[in-house]
Amino acid sequence: MLKVAIVGCGKIADFHAMQLQRIEGCEIVGVCDREPLMAKQLFERFPVKQYFSDLAELLETAQPDVVHITTPAESHFDVARFCLEHGCHVYVEKPFTLYAEQAERLVGLAERKRVKLTVGHNDQFSHVARRMRALVQSGYLGGAPVHIESYYTYDLGDPSYARALLGDENHWVRRLPGKLLQNVISHGIARIAEFMTGDSPHVIAHGFVSSLLKQINEREIVDELRVIISEEQGATAYFTFSSQMKPPMHLLRLFGPKNGLILDQDHEILIRLRGQKFKSYADMFIPPTLFAKQHLGNLFNNVRLFLGRDFHMDSGMKYLIESFYRSIRDDSPVPIPYREILLTARIMDAIFEQVSVDQLQNHSSQVICRPN
Amino acid sequence: MSNPSIDIAKRENALAAGKDFIIGPDDRILVTGASGFIGSRVLQNLLDRGLRNIVCLVRPSSDLSEIEAMIERRQPDARIDVHKGNLLSRTDCEAAARDVAVIYHLAAGTGEKSFPDAFLNSVVATRNLIEASLRFGSLRRFVLVSSFAVYSNRDKPNGRILDESCPIEEHPELRGEAYCFAKVRQEQLVSEYGKNSGVRFVLIRPGSVYGKKGDISGRVGIAAFGPFLHLGGFNKIPFTYVDNCADAIVLAGLVKGIDGEAFNVVDDDLPSSRQFLRLYKKNARKFKSIYVPHALSYALCYLWEKYSKWSQGQLPPVFNRRRWHTEWKKTRYSNQKLKTKLGWTPKVSTSEGMRRYIETCKPDGRYA
Repeated sequence: MLKVAIVGCGKIADFHAMQLQRIEGCEIVGVCDREPLMAKQLFERFPVKQYFSDLAELLETAQPDVVHITTPAESHFDVARFCLEHGCHVYVEKPFTLYAEQAERLVGLAERKRVKLTVGHNDQFSHVARRMRALVQSGYLGGAPVHIESYYTYDLGDPSYARALLGDENHWVRRLPGKLLQNVISHGIARIAEFMTGDSPHVIAHGFVSSLLKQINEREIVDELRVIISEEQGATAYFTFSSQMKPPMHLLRLFGPKNGLILDQDHEILIRLRGQKFKSYADMFIPPTLFAKQHLGNLFNNVRLFLGRDFHMDSGMKYLIESFYRSIRDDSPVPIPYREILLTARIMDAIFEQVSVDQLQNHSSQVICRPN
Repeated sequence: MSNPSIDIAKRENALAAGKDFIIGPDDRILVTGASGFIGSRVLQNLLDRGLRNIVCLVRPSSDLSEIEAMIERRQPDARIDVHKGNLLSRTDCEAAARDVAVIYHLAAGTGEKSFPDAFLNSVVATRNLIEASLRFGSLRRFVLVSSFAVYSNRDKPNGRILDESCPIEEHPELRGEAYCFAKVRQEQLVSEYGKNSGVRFVLIRPGSVYGKKGDISGRVGIAAFGPFLHLGGFNKIPFTYVDNCADAIVLAGLVKGIDGEAFNVVDDDLPSSRQFLRLYKKNARKFKSIYVPHALSYALCYLWEKYSKWSQGQLPPVFNRRRWHTEWKKTRYSNQKLKTKLGWTPKVSTSEGMRRYIETCKPDGRYA
């Protein structure tokens, strides 16, 4: 039985506790928050053995094998380092750390301590993402990806978070180097990192404050971002983040030398894009029929999963946690390779270097390219 | 344009009428959530009663237009301070709670779907506020504006009266509503401070506060699945018009001899859910609704609850029997305690309140 602890008892901790309830072979031995009332409310609502307001006391008393870190991002590095030093395996919620350099130090520490480390990029383990990965691994693309497009939208009308952020000048998200972007784009960037082969791609980022936010005198929060990522020998990628674009989407397009794939996370849809053309007018009639068939297939698949009680909103998180725990028990590879975690962190660093508020204020054109 | 001398005379009469109040006109009063729907009416009510030393704690993002208008209109001897701050900041709480005699705590995490967020903005915020007030030693009463959501209503037969003697939800975490969980724990916290630190408090539990355009009360029905499902049927809906509710809240902070008490706030002559819906559809906005009989709504809640458990939360347990008992079971309501102990009477009749409310709900309607 793996002994699990959760550090940070806010909104995201609920998702972890819910998934842990559904996973066999683990128990929550303790939860911890600097605010004792918050630790207590999580303790009251889930099968948790003890609650703490001091991390050292949690580690000493409850002696967890694994610690899930669900604190605000600015404390991820310190809390994760402390837990790793105490010999715990660590699951860090996204964003992994504030800077790539911190990510490298955590990975190095985990390797030295011979413990496992992962990050909460659970979108990559949803049903549809796993189907896509299996197709890529089977060679459907006809080789390594040539180009990747990742779309990630965020609705600032969401009252639970966005209004709190916009209305509070001291909100913790504002203290992050990449502010709102830092807290939300890592899912979309990680999807690109999974399919890039190099370690230091070129990143060109263009960010700006949307007209909607400007209307309410918001000048700090960059909520529109366009990024080009390229490797000398490998793939290229576009990343789009928007708070204004409709419809809302979390989409990945993957193009190989032979075929392509579209992953629509919101609707759990995977579409295969056939590279070969049909002859003459057949190309106008057969592909729409094939697309219709694929959409029906997605529908049946989603219904099957729902009826089979395996279509929870956070199924990706459960799968990621289970895979992580398996890697701990079997001492097998972690579900998210450290290379991907570090590459995601480096790409985010490169974006925030270019899209800082100071730079936005000093460059009226708002187009800032990283020098070669 | 009002005549200042007449206004002052009216206010002096109001104060004289309130000779059994625990504070005088110059004692400092804090209102949290003062820019909100109810908070702004509480503020106006305090001013109308001649209380002239008021501090408002509002979120930095709040719309202050109503408060600013009141400041503009206030009598020359009245002082309204506005603190922009966050109840999660102990510093902000201390700045606002300095030397206050009465706190009206209306700010809350309403509309939160997340349990931790609702808890944080209700319970932790309340703890910060009480702790801050204890530092100054001037607090004479803490008025917590809670909700009907705290009641269980499970073990009572159909049609019985729900009053202040009814039990509080024992397991609010099972109701599937973050708001209920937060409110029950918030009341418990205040009671603990009353017991352990001697904080004198009053709990105010309004029913469905109405008076401005907004969603129809969930006690009437829900529109989450497309057509409006009318669940209330012949149930009385525990409405209270916002001005009546504000009046009860204000009295709860002033009247002597009610420390530690809880008061439900509902108006007289409550309409049934069916009457309300008919009035709304006839005068405000037409839409299709489907009546769901009580036996069927209970069965659906039961099935949803069971399925949620069986599927390990594939559907969240937002519909369940506990919620049905609270919101859709046939229940009558009493405001007797409010009338007897606070001397409260609804100044705005239900028919007049509904007329004003319906006006605001019309597509081009507004009420001033």
